[in-house]
Amino acid sequence: MNPGQQPLVEFHDVTVAYGRRPVLWNIDLAIAEPCLFGVIGPNGAGKSTLLKAALGLVPVVGGFVRFCGRPRRQVQGRVGYVPQRETVDWDFPVNVMDVVLMGTYGRLGWLRWPGRRERAVAAECLERVGLADLADRQIGRLSGGQQQRVFLARALAQEADIYLLDEPMAGVDVRSQEQIFGVLAALRDAGRLVIVVHHDLRTAAEWFDQVALIDRRLVAAGPTAEVLTADNIQKTYAGGIELLEQLGQAVAERGRTE
Amino acid sequence: MTLATFGQPALIAMAGLGLTYNTLVVLGGVAAVGCGAGVVGSLTLLRKRPLVGDAAAHATLVGVAGAFLATGRRDLPTLLAGAAVSAVAGLLVLVLLRRFTRTREDAATAIVIGVSFGLGLALLGGITARGIPGGGGLERFLLGQTAALTARDAALLAVISLLTIVIVTAVLKELLLVAFDPAFAAATGWPVGLLDAGLMALIAVMVVIGLPAAGAVLVTALVVIPPVAARQWTDRAGSMLVLAGLFGLTAAVAGVAVSSLRSGLATGPLVVLAAAAICLASVVIAPRRGWLARRLRSRIRGGDDQP
Repeated sequence: MNPGQQPLVEFHDVTVAYGRRPVLWNIDLAIAEPCLFGVIGPNGAGKSTLLKAALGLVPVVGGFVRFCGRPRRQVQGRVGYVPQRETVDWDFPVNVMDVVLMGTYGRLGWLRWPGRRERAVAAECLERVGLADLADRQIGRLSGGQQQRVFLARALAQEADIYLLDEPMAGVDVRSQEQIFGVLAALRDAGRLVIVVHHDLRTAAEWFDQVALIDRRLVAAGPTAEVLTADNIQKTYAGGIELLEQLGQAVAERGRTE
Repeated sequence: MTLATFGQPALIAMAGLGLTYNTLVVLGGVAAVGCGAGVVGSLTLLRKRPLVGDAAAHATLVGVAGAFLATGRRDLPTLLAGAAVSAVAGLLVLVLLRRFTRTREDAATAIVIGVSFGLGLALLGGITARGIPGGGGLERFLLGQTAALTARDAALLAVISLLTIVIVTAVLKELLLVAFDPAFAAATGWPVGLLDAGLMALIAVMVVIGLPAAGAVLVTALVVIPPVAARQWTDRAGSMLVLAGLFGLTAAVAGVAVSSLRSGLATGPLVVLAAAAICLASVVIAPRRGWLARRLRSRIRGGDDQP
């Protein structure tokens, strides 16, 4: 999928502002290889905005984002997306299968409805996230973890090469977290790039191959063990109250895994 | 909904009730309008913008009065064309207010409703006060009055309603995707702004052709109440649209039929009452979501601590 040896994803000097308030400054980040990539930082650090900028959902006021050296519009079908769970109304009158089928719409295009092939793809994606038996259930009658897995299944149904996930582990029970992580790891092993916005330093250390620490600016990026140092974490979470607690746990965690 | 649907015996029976051929054709047209309003209204409700139709509806009066003043004609197509222009203009103002003044959507909607309706009333009042010949019947667009509709008018309303329903059906997949998850829709390459604009145009068309039946003030009831009632009965968007269409059709026909029993009665209030009755019944007796069903469930759980 990558003939010219271009990075899979490249942020070049990306700056994003809401109104006049800048949220992301001069982000330079290139991811060359398929891996599980964590985007880590405190609340309000612009982690979600980074994904949205990549997807063209917020205007980039400076710099650019490229996928395999090309602008997003040319690779639309190859980028899967899992938005934050709270961004939609779960009382919407659709069932689990309907939502997963939405992942196939991009390939279908205008006027065509999902057919047998799309239903088979969606059913298989539901199987992978462990929700095969809930296909007919209205989405409001699911637990938070199940809802998150529906969103993941919808992204799987996009059959993409690069996946962007916004806080897929937020408000999710431990069993669902492990299931989601298992699916993401399998994607990585199948040669996909998986970029995950994540807020929990403790689990970040054990889950991700590479991470970027972000606090409006890029603090550090690279292999997890090299980046998640006490010093970098201190810089990213400077002044935050949650810092001390998380820092202690993260360092202890790393001590145990090494 | 054509005459043939009623069948010959029914036709005779209805003629016996004092319903003329013209009344029947008008009922058919109104039925199509109610159906279309329910279908398009379901989508604006699901897109969380139920008041967009209200803003468009209140803005129509300016166009009705303006079309009359500009052309001196008072036939339905001319007046409704004017209404369509001002409805779309009202929605444009709504969008511009939100974008350039950072006014919240509800506040912007209230501004458009109030200002455009005031302007429309002022124009209508001026026409009446000056005694401009032929301007007398325009107030019927305020609360709805189908007595003056010709069979041709009714056929026009029916054709536009059916066209609207066909368009919605054709792009239903896209409209529902945008309504459910606009960010995902945009991220996967769908033109969210264009689809939203299209939906706003459709709702503007529906409230314009709903004017003769329900009037500028009350036509919003046809695009909001039937979808709310339909939502009680189902958890699937497709069946919600079908039900909302049926409820809208029923409310519109019931209101217009009752008002035809006495001359000079405004149809809008009766249409709204019929829609409200359907909605109330739905909220109470619908299985699962209805008040009774929920009440029964909690009663069954009653003695138990376990849910």
